[in-house]
Formats: sequence, C-alpha cells, structure tokens
Amino acid sequence: MSTESKNGAVLFERVNAIRSAIAEQFAFLRQDRLAFAGAIILVVFVFLGLFGPMLAPHDPIEYDVTASDGSVMRLAEPNARALFGTTAYGKDVFSQFLAGARPTLIVGLVGGVLTGLIGFLIGLVSGYYGGWVDEVLMRFTDLTFSLPFMPMALLLLTFITSNIWVITAVIAAFLWKMPARVVRSEVLSVRERTFVKSARASGASNLRTMFLHVAPNVLPIGFLYTAYGVAWAISAQASLAFLGFGDPTMTSWGRMLRMVFDSGSIRFAWWWVLPPALSIAAVTTSVFLVGRAYEEVINPEIQTNQ
Amino acid sequence: MSDFRRFLVKRVAIAMMLTVVSVSIIFVVLRLLPGTPFEALITAGNLSEKQVQEIMATYGLNQPIWKQYLSYLQSLLTFQFGYSILRSRPVWDILAPKLVNTLVLLVPALLTTAILSSLLGMYVGWNRGTTTEKTSIIGTTFLRSTPVFITAILLLMVFSYQLNLVPAFGMRSITASPKGYYQTFASLDFLHHYILPFSIAVLYYSGDFLLLARNGVIEKRGSEFLKLHKAKGLSEYEQLARAGRNSMLPILTYFALRLGMIFQGLILLEVVFAWPGIGRALVLAIQQQDYPLVQAAVFIMALAVIIANLLADVLYAYFDPTVSTSGGGAA
Repeated sequence: MSTESKNGAVLFERVNAIRSAIAEQFAFLRQDRLAFAGAIILVVFVFLGLFGPMLAPHDPIEYDVTASDGSVMRLAEPNARALFGTTAYGKDVFSQFLAGARPTLIVGLVGGVLTGLIGFLIGLVSGYYGGWVDEVLMRFTDLTFSLPFMPMALLLLTFITSNIWVITAVIAAFLWKMPARVVRSEVLSVRERTFVKSARASGASNLRTMFLHVAPNVLPIGFLYTAYGVAWAISAQASLAFLGFGDPTMTSWGRMLRMVFDSGSIRFAWWWVLPPALSIAAVTTSVFLVGRAYEEVINPEIQTNQ
Repeated sequence: MSDFRRFLVKRVAIAMMLTVVSVSIIFVVLRLLPGTPFEALITAGNLSEKQVQEIMATYGLNQPIWKQYLSYLQSLLTFQFGYSILRSRPVWDILAPKLVNTLVLLVPALLTTAILSSLLGMYVGWNRGTTTEKTSIIGTTFLRSTPVFITAILLLMVFSYQLNLVPAFGMRSITASPKGYYQTFASLDFLHHYILPFSIAVLYYSGDFLLLARNGVIEKRGSEFLKLHKAKGLSEYEQLARAGRNSMLPILTYFALRLGMIFQGLILLEVVFAWPGIGRALVLAIQQQDYPLVQAAVFIMALAVIIANLLADVLYAYFDPTVSTSGGGAA
C-alpha cells in the first residue's frame, strides 16, 4: 500500500469515527426529550450568532424605521415595516435582535471554553501532584472565590475600556474556580486507581501519566463544566451589559434590555423586551438541560435504581 | 491539639490571609482607576489649588502610597470606612441601612427556599421518574440558569405593569416617611413592595437546593443502610426521612456558601426593583466614582464570602467524620 492511500485510509477511519461519535451523541440526546429540545435551541442560537448580523434587514443603530408619511416610527408595535416593532428611538427591534446574538455567542463560547480549560488544567495539576502544589493552587482558587465576581468585574470594567474580549477575559478569570474544584476532586479518586499506579510503576513520567492516564478519565466532567461555563458566561455578559458595562460598540441582547429599562418603555413595550429576554433565558436553560442529561451519565451514583 | 482544632486554626489563619490579600487587591484596583470626583471639580474650576490640597490632605491622598496602604488596611480591618466623597457623611452611616435592607430581603428568601425546595427535592428524588419530578426539574433549571434580572423583568411585566397588583420599584411608597426600622419594615406598604422581589429571590435560589436534595436522596436510595431500614419494616416516609437526614450535610454547607454570596448575588435584582440595598448602592457609587463607598461595599461582600467559606468548611469537617481534617478541607 502506498503511503498516500494509507494516509487516506487513516483519514477515512478518523472521519468515520467522528461521524459515528456524533451519531451516538445524537441518538443519546434523542432519548431525553428535554435535552434534545435544548440542543435544537442551541443550534439555532449558534446559527443566529454566526449569521444574525448578516441577516438583519437594517443596521441596528443607524437605520430609522419610517412610516409611509416619512416620519420616524417610535415605539410601534410589530407591523409590516418592522417585524418586531420599533424602539423608543425609532430603531428596528428585529434587526437589533439578530445583530445582538453575536456578542452573546462570542462571550458565551470563548468565555465558557476558557473557563473550562483553565479550570481543568488547574484542577488536574493540583489534584495530581498534591502536596504544596495543591496547597498553593487551592489557596489561589479560594482567593478568586473570596473576590466577589460582580463587584470586581464592575470595578475592572470602569477603568479598562470595555469590549467583548475584555469582558470575556474578566469572566474567565473569575469563573475557572468552579471546574477547578470539581476536576480536582475527581482527579484525587482517579489517581488512586490501579492503572494509574501501574503506569507510574512502569516508569511513565509525571506529565505522561497525568495527561495520558488521568486526564481522559476526568475529561467528561471537564466538558460538562465547560458547558456550564458557557451558560455562566452568557448570563454574566448579559448582566454586565444590563448594568451598562457592556461593549458600547456592539448591540447585544443585554444592552437591548438596558435600553428598554432605561427608557421607561418597559411598562408597555413588550415587543422590545421579549425577544432579547426570552432568548437569553432559552439559551442558558438549554445549556443546563443538555448538561444535565450528560451529568446523569457521568455521575454513576445518580443512576442507581432507576 | 486535636486534629479538628489544628484544622480549625489552619482554616482561620487562611481566612485571615485571604482577607488581607483580597483587601490589597481591591486597593490596587482602586488606585489604578483614572480620575477622581475631585478631578472633575478641579477641571470645572470650582476649586482653587489650595482647596484641592486641603481636601487631598483630609482624605490622606497626599501621603506616600505605602502609608496610604497601611492606613487603608487599618481602617478596613477596624471597620472605619472613612467619609463618602460625594455625600460627606461617614460611609458606614450610608451603608449600614442598605446592608439591613439587603438582609431583610434576602435572608428570609434564602431560608424559605432552603427549607421548601430541599423538601420538594427529597420528595421528587424519592419518587423518581414521575411527572412532578420532571416538571420541578424543568422549572428550577429555567429559574436557576436564567439571569435573575430577566426573571425579574418578566414577572415585573406581568404582575406590576399588566395586572397592576404590586408596585414596580422601591421599598416603600414615595410618600411614606418611616422612622426607625420598626416603622420601615412592619407595615403593609412595605409588604406590598416586598412580595415580588422576595418571590423572585426564592425562585432563583430554589433550583440548586432542589437538585442537591434530589441527588442526595437518589444516591442514598440504593444504599445498604436503607435496605436495613426497609428490612426493619419502616414505612416509605420513614425511610425517606432517614435518607433525607443523611443528605442534609451538602445542603447545609451550600446554604452557608449562599449566605456568604448574598450581598453580591442579587445586585441585579436590587437594580431592577430599585431596592435600596448594598448591591444597588455599589453600582451607584461606582458610577459616581465615590471610592470610599465602593471599597467599603466590596470589602463587606468579600468578607462575607470568606467567613461563609470558613463556616462551610468547618461545618463539613465537624459533621462528616469521613472527611479528613488533617488536610484538603477545601474539597
């Protein structure tokens, strides 16, 4: 066999493995109706985040919706010219809603993945090495626990010019502590198992044992907390934006809610409130519904005596 | 010295260290902030150079930074928070009533949730797979994962704006001028303002307690000691009571942790309802750059968390003999 076709076969095998893994996940999610519904909502949300701003019929900020006589339409209920109605400033709610999905997606995904990654590594190292390494890392985690997230984030964002990357970094810097603790306690139990001990005995290095033998066994819980990290990040981003500490250059769902709230139109302008509010609620809830389905698989103690 | 006492001393020492480190971080962050309220006054030309020097001296801002740091440490650790820049009143006089307002709102809410949703959690955990279980799980998943200001806005729209059942903001009617805590809190007017934010806090906290209790009972359900109880002929509810009692510890420690996060957790709830609590005071102080007020509020929030963490660790070590007290108490 030539090396090329061999490579081709390997590639084919890999693609097949990935495909069957996806099919397996799909079949798993199908069993749990709630998790399946959650997964569909998440797919829609990712689609909105990627293409929403392009699909938006108008510029979310620049464009004024006008009535047939040319006057700017303010606080209009949903109608033919503005599908979701207009804001107090005569902007198209539908366009803002579509454009607002992107920052939510970016902060959610990047913040969640960073949260999971940092937490996983710190938990892994801390639990595997134990001793003073563990002591130092865990005191460091305690420190981030004792610095209250919201107040510290508000403080930091007043003197760093706020943009979504800064917000993402602040969120990840404060949220990694959750996965770190959970991963650490998992590592503590995995470390004592026979295969890890025999790997050590047969001369595997610390790094090798840690990443090849211990890490795969705590990976599921790492993924689960990464998913939860996504939900926390979205929630934190929306909250900060609502308080007026969001990225001022981008339309986001949290910022839309701040606008309605500040303008006082919240008393009646349901068409302006519901799209961003319900979307944020749907996305964060979906993450948790999907996560819970996996948690049942990961945590064997909850499965007993079904 | 017994193991437990050594553990206790170690944890207390760590908590004290954490306090000092957190306080130092807050100090650094605040020094890095550009602009002070004075600068605004100076650039507006309202103050002469001499007046500025006088004010700086009053607030100790003309001293070397390490001296400022030391006096800052001393003042916070003795609860002397200095004067609010904007309101020229002692910070503590401003914050103390706000602190009370927050506690009045959130402690009863947390207690109510801890009791009600733990009981419900135990019940649905025992009766797994029922519709009640599924409904309660969807409901609480929604409530605990949705940011609290969104739940607040949605319920506000329904109960205040549409149905006109409850007021939308504040703690008392604008016309009310109560004197003292008794007049403030013991009135129908207060209750009227209280009911919606209280309910939202209860709902928001409910999810974690419910799931914790449910999972605890499910874990216990298959265990040996319950089989023994079953063999002894205890009824279903007696068995559930035993299983429930045995899953109380995580709930108790979680309650302690939540209690510590009480001041910071629901800043947004206070903002939405214009509830005059410490969270809303902090947001306003940040916007107005009233640093003494900001540092006091953040310090109180951090201290609460540190004490609650300490309490949770100690509770766990004290009640659960299987937790080694010699190390790793943080797990």
